[in-house]
Amino acid sequence: MNLVINTYGAYLQRQGDCFRVRVDDKVYDVACAKVSSILISTAAYLTTDAIKLAIDHNIDIIFIDEMGEPYARIWHSRFGSTTEIRRRQLAIAETEEGFNLALSWVKRKFDNQIELLKKLRTTRTRKSAQITGYIEKLENCRKQLDTMIGTIDEKRNTIMGVEGSGGRIYFQALSFLMPEDHKFEGRSRNPAKDEFNALLNYAYGILYSRVERACVIAGLDPYVGILHTDNYNKKSLVFDIIENYRAWAEEVVINLFAARKVKKEHFDQLENGYTLNKEGKALLIETFLRFLDESVRYCGRNIKRADIIQFDCHKIANSLLSREDESG
Amino acid sequence: MNQDNLVWVIYDITNNKTRGRIARACKNKGLYRVQKSAFLGKLNRTQIAELKALCGDIIDPAIDSVYIFPMCEEDFKKVQLLGQAFDRELVSDEVKALFL
Repeated sequence: MNLVINTYGAYLQRQGDCFRVRVDDKVYDVACAKVSSILISTAAYLTTDAIKLAIDHNIDIIFIDEMGEPYARIWHSRFGSTTEIRRRQLAIAETEEGFNLALSWVKRKFDNQIELLKKLRTTRTRKSAQITGYIEKLENCRKQLDTMIGTIDEKRNTIMGVEGSGGRIYFQALSFLMPEDHKFEGRSRNPAKDEFNALLNYAYGILYSRVERACVIAGLDPYVGILHTDNYNKKSLVFDIIENYRAWAEEVVINLFAARKVKKEHFDQLENGYTLNKEGKALLIETFLRFLDESVRYCGRNIKRADIIQFDCHKIANSLLSREDESG
Repeated sequence: MNQDNLVWVIYDITNNKTRGRIARACKNKGLYRVQKSAFLGKLNRTQIAELKALCGDIIDPAIDSVYIFPMCEEDFKKVQLLGQAFDRELVSDEVKALFL
């Protein structure tokens, strides 16, 4: 399970092979064998013993700020795999191969968005016609990618442009599907201007930390992206790869609203926006993790959504290595 | 595949120190205390073997007893609970996130 430390001033220490969490006067022991990750979303203390226990069992400790953005993680100091993968990653970034890889991610993003809208359409018969309209617009956008060839340097702006206009259509469609009192005006971050964006930002944050972890384990360098430029010390590859999975976050958030699970009490109102509070975070994390834990059919096998991310990253890494073999 | 099994660990131990060590061993393996001398949780075959060896070293076989019962999912679903019951979802690892 994921251990989520969500109470101000919690104290995390080691007790035998257990993590001991002290919250106010209560003490909880959780065996490290049961913990897959520790998410700390509030001010907390932790001992180096606890960190050692986590590292020895491959449990990463992730720190998340109030917007849901992971700002640090404790992870062992080894790199997941051979450096050869990183070498190849740098080499293909400039080539047509790299371009095609990046293009396939953007296409998949579009496909996911279209698929999600189709899924949502089946249960919303009254709005069906308009949804179909949005889907057609998105499909037209996606078509612009089909004929694209070249290198990423030449085409980066074009792809980003298509992606951007697709995104606007997509979020208009999502806003259209929302209950009357929760319509929103496009995406907003830092802070979110509405409840939808507050939830979505937080969900993206969780996803982001998962993708980063999967990259490191597969031996991919998170800093070497293809589509996203890599000169601002940002984890460009994570931004590139996360596009494949964003639709999951959107699906979970939309369904939370549709099921009327989202309450005003889940948010703290700021001067210029909203953030999730303790109850809101608990609701979102619980629902999202359950969703990630569901098995789906993927590449001819039944696999948990959470494991798809790792599966894909390994596949990317392997394809980088095998290309090396062919040319050498 | 090293499949996880639901396991009950039930013991009868006279010496306080020995009893404490058995309880700690169960906890460290990831079992949940459901009664004073009863632990329950999911373990794989290796973990069960480890726990068995560990408990074997701790107890005095002449006076103490430790039972390790595996239980199948199907039977677990039929378990009846009265009064102060344990958390079914927690012991069967269905809780995906624990908020503290």
